[in-house]
Amino acid sequence: MNMELSRRQFLTGAGAGLAGTTLGALGFGDAEVAYAAAIRPFKLAGTTETRNTCTYCSVACGIIMYSKGNLSKGEKAEIIHIEGDADHPTNRGTLCPKGAALLDFVHSETRLKYPMLRKPGSDKFERISWDQALDRIARLMKDDRDENFIQKNNDGVTVNRWLTTGFLAASASTNETAWATYKVVRSAGILAFDNQARV
Amino acid sequence: MSKAGPPRHDPVPIGEVAEPPFVRLPDPSRIFAERAERFAALASNHPLASYLLFLAALCEAQHKAQDGALEPELPPADAIARAREFNMPPLDRNRFTASAEFDATFGRLLGLAEAIEKPAAAAEALARVAGADAAQRDAMIRNVLADSIPVEHLADHVYAAAAMQLHFARLATRLDDKRLVPVGDGACPACGAPPVSSMVVGWPRAHGTRFCACSLCGTLWNYVRIKCTICASTAGISYQEIDGGPEAVKAEICDSCKSYVKILYQLKDPALEPVADDVASLGLDLLVREAGYRRGGVNPFLLGY
Repeated sequence: MNMELSRRQFLTGAGAGLAGTTLGALGFGDAEVAYAAAIRPFKLAGTTETRNTCTYCSVACGIIMYSKGNLSKGEKAEIIHIEGDADHPTNRGTLCPKGAALLDFVHSETRLKYPMLRKPGSDKFERISWDQALDRIARLMKDDRDENFIQKNNDGVTVNRWLTTGFLAASASTNETAWATYKVVRSAGILAFDNQARV
Repeated sequence: MSKAGPPRHDPVPIGEVAEPPFVRLPDPSRIFAERAERFAALASNHPLASYLLFLAALCEAQHKAQDGALEPELPPADAIARAREFNMPPLDRNRFTASAEFDATFGRLLGLAEAIEKPAAAAEALARVAGADAAQRDAMIRNVLADSIPVEHLADHVYAAAAMQLHFARLATRLDDKRLVPVGDGACPACGAPPVSSMVVGWPRAHGTRFCACSLCGTLWNYVRIKCTICASTAGISYQEIDGGPEAVKAEICDSCKSYVKILYQLKDPALEPVADDVASLGLDLLVREAGYRRGGVNPFLLGY
């Protein structure tokens, strides 16, 4: 019988099961039982370590985010620490001062967490839903494009330009997101196109 | 913006580039003595003090048994080259044969173990091992090297495992670390044995990297963090510690294979030792097992959990 088969549930069957552990077999069974009883009132505390990419720039440093509480088990999770990912080939555990302050970025009370709208003439932002935000952006872009799209230049050459709207893309996008962003923006005719990664 | 309050984060090291070596080979002239010291230090105020002191003495015996030991014989160069070619560990556990040098060291270890204060069961087991003939000893060694210990002879195999740790550490230290390559997940690149635990180290130029510690030869090998050391899954990894216990010892739990291996944050507590702290944190095993996970780390001093 090998050790895989011989595991004993000694917490439930103390005494009979003791011979199944190294401690019991060597004659330290009493200490083992006392220890098992002493540890029983204790609970486990879980942390999760999650790999991610720093949000700031196009260097895309790897980070490890430590959080308490398991979202997948229905608990509330809170990020407690962020450090550079030592396994990541880009930054090998290092971070710049901005990246080193990411935890404050996450917990900042002034961090933007949902779409906010400041209506023309208003002096304050108000929260709107993503649907409202996307509908409004699409509406305004469509109206602006219909009004200002340049199909041909003065010489009659087809140019298909849309110069009155610009687009700023995110830095921590995947290749696929970046590809889709480029296709949408360029096929709409937008020329003013830049990326947060260059900031 | 001014009402956001003071920063919450601790200063994090931001400028240390981690360039970890792939392996750190064991130094048998130090690891057993250091392990013995760590066992002894852990024993103070520990419910398992008697066992930890026994293991401290056993590790001390492993250390002292090297006095006067002859040079162990490495596998032939062509066998090592062939192992390298096929990404196999150079020390082949299945081809182990007892040499005169090994028998003498084993004998010295058993002699030194005589003097250790121990319960009757441990003393009887030692007498059985000391009195075993060559065939019985060979069978014990095979069991240890196959990580398959018969449950009715657990105690006897503790001494055999201690001898094998010593022998393989003395072999591994003589290997060329530049020639070692990864041989598979959860397998030591020097001898192919499974890890006992893993450590996130704070070494200079390797800060925050993780090393698995071999349960047999004591080699440390670099392994990506947040990845199961048993099945190599990166999904569903979480960490459990005893609430209110030492924060530097956690169980790395894998939901894919439902097993766990302990991970020691040596960068938080430089005293942590892969074998000794694994034994001393048995409470964590008991609690994690209640949650339905299987122990994945192999430790001959902590079998049956």
